[in-house]
Amino acid sequence: MKKITLLFFCLSVLATSCKKDDIIYDVNQVNATSYNANKNKLKTISQYISILYANLFQKALSANELVEITNCIESIGDKEVAHEIILSNFMNKSGVTIPSDSLMRTDVNAFIEQTYKRFYVRDLTEAEREFFLNFFVSHPDVSVEMVYSAFSLSNEYQFY
Amino acid sequence: MKRRNFLKNTALSAAAITVPFILPSGRLFAATGSRMADHVVFVAFAGGVRQQESILQRYLDDSQDYPSVGNIMYNMFDGAPPTDKIVYGTDGIISGDTPIPKLLSQTLQQQGTLFKEVNASTVGHYAGVNTLLTGNYLYSQGLKMKPSMPTIFEYLRRHQGVKATKTWFIGNGIGNSLPLLDYSLHPDYGSQFGANFLAPTITFGDDGEKHFKNAKIYHPEDELDPMYKMKYFLDNVWYSQGKPLPNIGNTEEEKAEIKQFVKEMFLKKENGTIAHPPVGDNRDGQTIGYACEVLNRFKPTFSVVYLSSVDGCHSDFSGYLKSLHATDHAVGHLWDYIQNNIPEMAGNTTLIVSPEHGRNLESNNIVDANAFTGFDHSDANSRRIFNMMIGPGVDSNLTIGNENNQIGDIVNITPTIAEILGFKNEMMSAGLTASNNSLFDLI
Repeated sequence: MKKITLLFFCLSVLATSCKKDDIIYDVNQVNATSYNANKNKLKTISQYISILYANLFQKALSANELVEITNCIESIGDKEVAHEIILSNFMNKSGVTIPSDSLMRTDVNAFIEQTYKRFYVRDLTEAEREFFLNFFVSHPDVSVEMVYSAFSLSNEYQFY
Repeated sequence: MKRRNFLKNTALSAAAITVPFILPSGRLFAATGSRMADHVVFVAFAGGVRQQESILQRYLDDSQDYPSVGNIMYNMFDGAPPTDKIVYGTDGIISGDTPIPKLLSQTLQQQGTLFKEVNASTVGHYAGVNTLLTGNYLYSQGLKMKPSMPTIFEYLRRHQGVKATKTWFIGNGIGNSLPLLDYSLHPDYGSQFGANFLAPTITFGDDGEKHFKNAKIYHPEDELDPMYKMKYFLDNVWYSQGKPLPNIGNTEEEKAEIKQFVKEMFLKKENGTIAHPPVGDNRDGQTIGYACEVLNRFKPTFSVVYLSSVDGCHSDFSGYLKSLHATDHAVGHLWDYIQNNIPEMAGNTTLIVSPEHGRNLESNNIVDANAFTGFDHSDANSRRIFNMMIGPGVDSNLTIGNENNQIGDIVNITPTIAEILGFKNEMMSAGLTASNNSLFDLI
């Protein structure tokens, strides 16, 4: 009988105990994608090409073309070289959706932020922002195509 | 013996103080071996070649119970061609009735050393080429993974500091996991010492026409330089947090040269000036044509050319005979092209030819258009191959072994290449090959 009473007492205490509120500091909460966005898987050739094509043309690549391009990339051992050739071939096609160089120069800050989100699906760090702001100053002839190519060929873009 | 003379003649230079140099890995290196030749071209006469139709010259006699014998590979081997039931040539009035004219005035057999009967214990395509390139029988590794033991490309590049574009692996396709063989997963070697792989029938075929041909060539200073600067920054950030990617170590200049080469090949293809064999309409012939272009452009220290059209023997014996004949023509053309069109390699190149394995003694039940039965590769006859080498320091017109006296093993090939290019000691010190003997050691 004593045990039942003790159990009843404990349950009553638990049921009536107060719940502490979450601490809210006096700053705005921001949903930021983490640095490198926890990417740890290497894209397959097909994944890389599909994503790259969708990124540049804003539409899906056909299944046939995906197989053909994958074959092309497999036929060259140095994947960096193969990717460069495929990418420059894309850039030579009509239908690539990229902002104009003048638009990029109008608001470099926003362009960099959008480019990081478009290719890396993450926010940029202040160090990265600093690099690109300085780079655009020291390289006034850099085009959007060059920036997009650099991101498309970078190692981080090979991971997801 | 030529090799002994060669060793004697080079003893002084080997004893001399060798000049150390820095490898790409940053390690101080001093060459220890003398080279017999500055270039080696290794033709992996792959896909499975029966001794009976190649070196033994039995044509239809030993396979189809039809009494016609003769040599259908007369650029490589001595011997008269068959005179009866000609089906191995190009198509004339009927399929295969027109043999391809002989290309070389002197057969490769007369110019070099032939091992007539050699053992090859692995009888699968990927495993066979893997053995050819690593000098190991890799029984325990998967078919869709990179070699677990270092390839000959890696030994060469690591121990001699050879540039990436001086090492090529040219395949006639991307099947059978072939592209995986450009470097191994071995922790002491790996991608940074790998070869440049190229499957030209794809790169410059229909798919390549569509997706490679119209590629831009960016201006090196105005466009590529800033592009690479941004890429290197992005990669450095990634390295600090992420995983590195395998890289065979082509420099920016080498990459630019490869891209330029690709561009030029499309132009040459359009103009019909690729160095294809005179009769080169099959896949192997096409591959050899582009291999000639690679050799001409890059003058590689070491290159492997992989041909495998003969694999059709499973279901088309007549096609197999045609492929043997056409590939003999293509190999003859390759040797002829090196000697007459690439002055930097003429007289300074060793050619090695070896099938990856043989084919069965007994046929299967698949019958082709000539009512000939096909042959797979799974019995003891599949372990029989020939080896051939031609070049500076190699005895000419020398035949080693015969049908009743097997001398040599497929794993002797990598030490042979290492010996010719002067890094056999380093390779043996690594202790990762099945045999320390080169083919020279067996003479």
